[in-house]
Amino acid sequence: MKKFIARTLILALVFLFIIQCYEPGKVVETANRYTSYLAPRTLYWGSTGEEVRIAQDKLRRWGYYDGAVDGVFGARTYRAVRRFQERNGLSVDGIIGPATARALGMPSAYAAQAGSSQGVNRSADEYLLARCVHGEARGEPYVGKVAVAAVVLNRVRHPSFPNTIAGVIYQPLAFTAVADGQINLTPDKDSIRAARDALNGWDPTYGCLYYWNPATATSKWIWSRKVMLKIGKHWFGL
Amino acid sequence: MDNRGRRHWIAPSILSLLLLAAIIWGYNQYYVKSKYEVALENQYQRLFYDVKKHVENVQVGLSKALVASSKERNILLFSQIMSDANFAQDKLGQLPISHAEVANTEKFLTQAADYCYYLIQKHLEGEDITPEQREALTNLQNNSAAFNEELDRLHQAMADSSFMYGVASNMGFGGRRNQEDGLGSQLQASLLNLEAGVSETPELIYDGPFADQMLNRKPVGLPQNKVSMEEAQQAAIEFFGEDRVQDVEAFELGENINEARIPAYTFNLFPNNQQRELAVYMGVAQQGGKVLWMSNPRPISNAQISVEEAEQYAIEYLKEKGFENMVSNYYLQYDGGVLFNFVNTENDITIYPDLVKVKVALDTGEIVGFDASAYYLNHQDREFDTPEISVEEAASTLREGFEVDSIRLALIPKGKREVLCYEFKGMYEDSQFIVYVNVLNGKEEEILQLIHNENGTLTF
Repeated sequence: MKKFIARTLILALVFLFIIQCYEPGKVVETANRYTSYLAPRTLYWGSTGEEVRIAQDKLRRWGYYDGAVDGVFGARTYRAVRRFQERNGLSVDGIIGPATARALGMPSAYAAQAGSSQGVNRSADEYLLARCVHGEARGEPYVGKVAVAAVVLNRVRHPSFPNTIAGVIYQPLAFTAVADGQINLTPDKDSIRAARDALNGWDPTYGCLYYWNPATATSKWIWSRKVMLKIGKHWFGL
Repeated sequence: MDNRGRRHWIAPSILSLLLLAAIIWGYNQYYVKSKYEVALENQYQRLFYDVKKHVENVQVGLSKALVASSKERNILLFSQIMSDANFAQDKLGQLPISHAEVANTEKFLTQAADYCYYLIQKHLEGEDITPEQREALTNLQNNSAAFNEELDRLHQAMADSSFMYGVASNMGFGGRRNQEDGLGSQLQASLLNLEAGVSETPELIYDGPFADQMLNRKPVGLPQNKVSMEEAQQAAIEFFGEDRVQDVEAFELGENINEARIPAYTFNLFPNNQQRELAVYMGVAQQGGKVLWMSNPRPISNAQISVEEAEQYAIEYLKEKGFENMVSNYYLQYDGGVLFNFVNTENDITIYPDLVKVKVALDTGEIVGFDASAYYLNHQDREFDTPEISVEEAASTLREGFEVDSIRLALIPKGKREVLCYEFKGMYEDSQFIVYVNVLNGKEEEILQLIHNENGTLTF
């Protein structure tokens, strides 16, 4: 009997230990995820430029990549990065963030970026907007994605809303995809393209500030908006 | 004890251990959750107190500005009010209050800041405050005082309530607490009181990016005649090429489409040889049936043509669509295409407000994007100022060490106005800049920094 009690106690202690370890581990993981998003130059599907070329060259030399070293992050580069991450015990997301860049031996790329433009570029805005589009309008046609990005940008320019892209996207109670964490999903190629098109001036909504899905919208207030047009599943309004 | 008796104990003891483990786990979860709650609550409290302080500063600053008699003092006061109003607006937007309640108050704060910036500019130009502007300032002062009183009343009442009460039910964390008690909902109620007052005051008349007059601008470059949906559809098909379109579908319009910035019809055009999911999108203005924008999201394969060739395609395309005298300014290469910014020229003057964007696919040279909304919003017959100062005089105002590469005359947008300037493009230290100097008085109107990389140029 004593032996039995001892055995179960040990079992229980091990069990508790596992539970205790579980929680902090998860927090660290999400923290890493965020730093990788906020990194100065994260390379992902659709990225172009010298850093992509460097990464492709390295991946090619190590036999992960068989495409052309053209400085364009496409499907082949994406698969190569995933294979590289898989073999090297990194989180497999097909994105060259700080950890993957370090494993590839290319941290100098970050320093090089800072030199010429002193870190001024638009890629952080682009990526945040693309994440918002991906979270909010994944199943929509292309123009519906551009429209969602355009609404965010119209809000930035409007006095009734915060004056930065991040301010608008993270405004409490504004976007459901932000509240339920879908914004942290990795954006696909179309979302990134849509975000870029919107940043470059395309606005299929003609200045709209709101959109809602008639099937799921719960707020009565939203129906009192001026209705402009319907794109995909969303109504857009002012 | 025999074996049988022992077995009786196994199941209950394992179960009770599991129960114990579950309780510990649950307590741990509860503990972590309340930690997060406190951290979030503290953050909200801080924001609330900050908003209160900033609004107080705005109010006091405005009262002082009404008393102050010198321009120098006013400029200092206005810059303080501007930053306090901006801070208050920014922090108010971070509190967990739904947009509907906070919209007008945010607008009031943004416009107060914007208005002060406008007055600073007027003062620097040597102008005094007009009686109308004084009245507007008095209105702003009254509104901020009312806001301040509401915030103060709220502060008195809040005693031991917290934002998290309201947030829990608002964000759908389960409303086990009474929502009425939440500071968030109390603040919402106060803001609603305030909304009534704010909306009664006349709109601010000034020239700035957030002014109502800028928001309600209507296109000046479109013909007056209205076209029907059928005519617009025909225009869209012709624009894309009649022989290339298989089918057209119009987007459903809402009842208020006439109040959009540019009322328009939007179409899906299905090209002959593309999948149905890859439609081409096009917007056609209801006024005059002009095509405002076009976007063809087809995937683009490997580049076959150079950027220079692409530019030629873009210029030909614009000529074909009736845009003469357009010059390409900057380009940006992304997603297999290259985007050119074309601006209008008249009498050797580059007219930046008349902007048309053209995106060329680098595989076939096909035009996959077109956007002329800015052009139709701004284009009109213009009377140009005759320069009163010479290029040399203007160049002498530039900073020493600024190496000029090129000079030309340019019309740039400045709020509602358009200003004729000398455009000096050049290098200072290691960065490239464009400096705009007013042709009438030699004032430095605008400075842009250019950031180059292998994909093109961005202006900041």
